[in-house]
Amino acid sequence: MNREFVFTGRERTFCFVLMGIGVLSMVLCFFGDDELQTRFWSNFLHNSVFFTGIAFMALFLYSAFITGWSGWHIVFKRVWEGIYLFLPVGLILMLIIAAGLWLDFHHLYEWNDTSALNPDKLHDQIILGKTGFLNKFWFTGGTILFVGIWYFIATRLRGLSVAEDNEERDPNFSKHRKMRIWAAAILPIGGFTSAFLIWQWVMSVDSAWYSTMFAWYAAASWLVSMLCLTAIFTAYLKGRGYLEQVSHEHLHDMGKYIFAFSIFWTYLWFSQFMLIWYANVGEETIYFRERMDSYPILFWANLAVNFALPFLVLMRNSTKRKYGSLLFIASVVFIGHWMDFFLMIKPGVRKTAEHLTHAAGDAHHGAASFMSGFTIPGFIDIGTMLGFLGLFIFVVFSNMSRASLYPANDPYLAESIHHHV
Amino acid sequence: MSKEVLYGLYNDEEDLLHAVHAAHDAHLDIMDVYTPFPVHGLDDAMGLDESRLHIGGFIFGALGLLTAFLGMTWIFTADWPVIYGGKPYWSVPAFIPITFELTVLFAGIGMTVTFYIICGMGPGVINKTLDDRITDDKFCIAFDTHDFEETGLDKIKEFFSSTGASEVNIKTL
Repeated sequence: MNREFVFTGRERTFCFVLMGIGVLSMVLCFFGDDELQTRFWSNFLHNSVFFTGIAFMALFLYSAFITGWSGWHIVFKRVWEGIYLFLPVGLILMLIIAAGLWLDFHHLYEWNDTSALNPDKLHDQIILGKTGFLNKFWFTGGTILFVGIWYFIATRLRGLSVAEDNEERDPNFSKHRKMRIWAAAILPIGGFTSAFLIWQWVMSVDSAWYSTMFAWYAAASWLVSMLCLTAIFTAYLKGRGYLEQVSHEHLHDMGKYIFAFSIFWTYLWFSQFMLIWYANVGEETIYFRERMDSYPILFWANLAVNFALPFLVLMRNSTKRKYGSLLFIASVVFIGHWMDFFLMIKPGVRKTAEHLTHAAGDAHHGAASFMSGFTIPGFIDIGTMLGFLGLFIFVVFSNMSRASLYPANDPYLAESIHHHV
Repeated sequence: MSKEVLYGLYNDEEDLLHAVHAAHDAHLDIMDVYTPFPVHGLDDAMGLDESRLHIGGFIFGALGLLTAFLGMTWIFTADWPVIYGGKPYWSVPAFIPITFELTVLFAGIGMTVTFYIICGMGPGVINKTLDDRITDDKFCIAFDTHDFEETGLDKIKEFFSSTGASEVNIKTL
């Protein structure tokens, strides 16, 4: 039985090559950048938020499954444990962004450059009115506190889950009962705090703009990306001879989750879009005006890749049960949601940079000119993403190699092995 | 055309599944299997093809989508154009919720009606059942006696007794 995952030298080399590409891209980006290092720091923020969110979503869904008496996921639950243990790395990455607010080495958030804000301008007045919440104290404190709480609960859950493996079968399932308490705790805590952090980390790059749908929409994007990565990691481990209990039935359910949450994401995307389109209030429509005029390819590709493709392909029974078709969709949709976050972050950061460098000038009119790394992802941005992906895989695989992939004493293990849809 | 059916009742779905496998191995041609609830693995054991009902569902859904979208397009651009809130006549985002609703409605109703027709069910239709208890707590395997005119029915009766059927009956439908 192949239960102890070995993080082989080849896999490490692969991760280091990816990280090398990332470092090279970031160095090239840093020295070829504008005076505010806009592209470098927006890439850094984009990827940090993306992968930290994926780690959080693994924790959230894992806890939701425990709370909901779910059994089918147990055979691959160690993959999720590996993913959510990326949280401390995500915390460090986000703290680098937070440090930049204090040391002014990046200018991602317009609200942080209060000296550049002019109280006589209507646009700046709106931002100044929000500085009670959008300020570096809240940003840093919220990041440390909330990601800290997530990580704390993640370690409790992981500790109990691994401890369960090494003991004699406990008729009272006391460890599992303790896990249920921690899992139930993270659901409301995570639900509210993730929204708070999405407002701070992502939505506030468009400082004057807000949407009440935004936190859900970004969280759904994280969730779908996490499900895609789960399918890819599980299939990879299966291909290497681990997770022999994972069958087509589990794959089928993963496919259903990707299918369902792609539709959920579309529902939120469209709800946000239609309400803003219908109300037609200038300070709200600016978000979509900007993206539809200056980023039309990404804007429409976003819907095609993240909705139409998984919807039409995963609708059939057979495509969810085959490794080839499911992995193809999972990879494409994963990249699609990375582009979704690109589209959430880049236009706002670019406008902030233009605002700061031409502080005296007016807001620009019409479509912004083409700019690689902003209008569409360039090689440097893709390279940076590969670097973060390498780091992510490295952390996840290291964590998975620390415990058996087979949760031998989980009370739901038998149910999971005999799972049949 | 009336049919003479020989059927056996089982008390447990596990016994039923074993019996279906055994019938398959013995090359006995099962007419149908009746259970009070869906039994996992029964479709595979009987060698049934995947249901084609969902293809009907897709077609009905597509029909609903087109009905709603083209219908609203015609109403709001040709038949009775009205300006709402300064929006263009052909306001696609405003059509999408209704398009979605009709897609679901058509697919739902279409699949239900198709299912009823395939099964020969409907309001006022009274279907003959082999035994009332197969809608409650019994699991039934039925054989058409015409298939066994040459070999004789003893072979089936023997099959039923060896697989643990609690009752064996014959009935003309």
